[in-house]
Amino acid sequence: MLKYTIRRIIGMIPMLLLISLVVFLLAKAMPGDSLSGEIDPNNTDPQYIEEMRERLGYNDPIPVQYFRWVSGFLQGDFGTSTRYKVPVADLVLERLPNTIFLGVTSLVITYILAFAMGIYAGRKPYTVGDNLIGGLNYLGLAIPSFIAAVFAIYFFSFNLGWIPYSGSVDPTLQPGTFDYWLSRIHHVLMPAIVLGALATASYTQFLRNDIIENSRKDFVRTARAKGTPTSKIYNVHIMRNSIIPLVTFLGFDIATLISGAIITETIFTYPGIGQLFLDSVTNRDYPTLMVITMMLSALTLVGNLIADILYGVVDPRIRLD
Amino acid sequence: MVNVTADSNKSQEKTINMSPWAIARRKFLRNKLAMISSFFLLTVIIVSFLAPYVTTADISKVNIMQMSLEPSNEHWLGTDKSGRDVFTRLLYGGRVSLLVGMACTTLVVLFGTIVGSIAGFYGGVVDSVLMRFTDFVLNFPFLVFVIVLSTIFYGLVDGLTILIVVISLLSWGGVARIVRSKILAEKENEYILAAVSIGCKPSKVIIKHLLPNVLSTIIVQSTILFAGLIVAESGLSYLGFGVPQTIPSWGNMLSASQESDVLSNKPWIWMPPAIILTVTILSINFIGEGLKDAFNPKSQR
Repeated sequence: MLKYTIRRIIGMIPMLLLISLVVFLLAKAMPGDSLSGEIDPNNTDPQYIEEMRERLGYNDPIPVQYFRWVSGFLQGDFGTSTRYKVPVADLVLERLPNTIFLGVTSLVITYILAFAMGIYAGRKPYTVGDNLIGGLNYLGLAIPSFIAAVFAIYFFSFNLGWIPYSGSVDPTLQPGTFDYWLSRIHHVLMPAIVLGALATASYTQFLRNDIIENSRKDFVRTARAKGTPTSKIYNVHIMRNSIIPLVTFLGFDIATLISGAIITETIFTYPGIGQLFLDSVTNRDYPTLMVITMMLSALTLVGNLIADILYGVVDPRIRLD
Repeated sequence: MVNVTADSNKSQEKTINMSPWAIARRKFLRNKLAMISSFFLLTVIIVSFLAPYVTTADISKVNIMQMSLEPSNEHWLGTDKSGRDVFTRLLYGGRVSLLVGMACTTLVVLFGTIVGSIAGFYGGVVDSVLMRFTDFVLNFPFLVFVIVLSTIFYGLVDGLTILIVVISLLSWGGVARIVRSKILAEKENEYILAAVSIGCKPSKVIIKHLLPNVLSTIIVQSTILFAGLIVAESGLSYLGFGVPQTIPSWGNMLSASQESDVLSNKPWIWMPPAIILTVTILSINFIGEGLKDAFNPKSQR
């Protein structure tokens, strides 16, 4: 197990290098450079532009620039945002807690909802409740997240006034107070539900089918025959078996949450990484863009790794070699 | 008791004489939800592709006199902020959204099947090289790279073509994996050994003998993809990185809802595309479920 994990982590290094090369070349291939996103090329002295380009190293050969970027990256120097004039690391670290908060809340809501609905539907299959949950799941799978978000804002923010539709916190509150955290949770709730809808639907469906399948197995019949209470059979015997596959989804969730966050954060104007990414694309803030793209790609890799490793951890029958 | 067995024997005989495709067709035709969905999807496709014949209104003309009108007899779904008829734009938008979805699905399925079947059939070095490449592509966060790529090519070539190519380039990995695993299982059969031993060319073995047997999986997979790619297109257009703003698409129409005035006070501008998009995706999903059920020999219906 340990050997497998170490080998997988070492195997990630060439993948990361390849991705970094792709990210770098793509950033180079994007129209204009950071400088032209900063100044108006028609109104500035061409000599000055040339000087700045020389000083920023934009005239060096591409391989030289690539190695400068990668070696800076490895030493923790992520460059300076051309738009905000601050180190990219600071910029990302400022936004990161918001995105992590959103992702974690979304995961918690997903798990609570999926377990509640999945267990109910699995215990009472083909009843009204089960069909209702099945219908809800269909909607969750079919409605694109941005449409769900738009409808949520329309109904819950504008018509009912229950939830705020933008920002991550009420700016008038003092950080650290109880009200501050309450306001943060209030702000994150709707985006988190929308972000987790797809996962919730697929988890519920999976859990339901797994519970139904398990309840027909021999060990359940044995347990029934020896007089184990039904609730114990479901909550202990079957649950243990049905949770296993769910655990492995966690890794894939990381990747889904990242991509989903870009759209969700934009719609709810929630100041997180996704919004920063889109801003950096529009403003041609390439240092920021490259760092975020690298970060998201690395997270996807890590997510897949976690999923693969968890497979082996939760189910010892699966041999990893 | 005797009657029951006789009955089931009869129905079994009936299905025994049918080809797998005929059985699947019968199952699908009996699936009410899937049939209703197919009917709806076909209607949407036909009406949107016949848009120029269905309505005569001009989609591109900005009409200041008719800005943000509520739904009326003249404008069935009202007009948007530039005074364009929402219903007309909905039809033309559907044409673009469905076209992008279909084109991407075709490209993705084609490329994924080619890579997957070659990797699965040849195995060995070819397989590991192709699969490493597939893993590599699958490791890119989809949305991030689509946005970066479409920004690079923005304005260089026709916007719609670029969007289709970029989305397809990043989404074929899943199909390749599934096709490969199916081919791996299928090629162990003896008829493949027979075909190879009488000297069939590899291309012929793949196309004539292997692919027809994994076709049902590919068909089901492409329905799911079709829905997913329509969502991808509209999501990107909503963010402003998809179909160029000048061409109406469902996603572009929805992006009007980013203005809070439109979102809260003029729901007729953004609700029609939102609803039609959701119902279309839902019906494609139902068709996919129906197909999956129809091709599954274990399901009895």
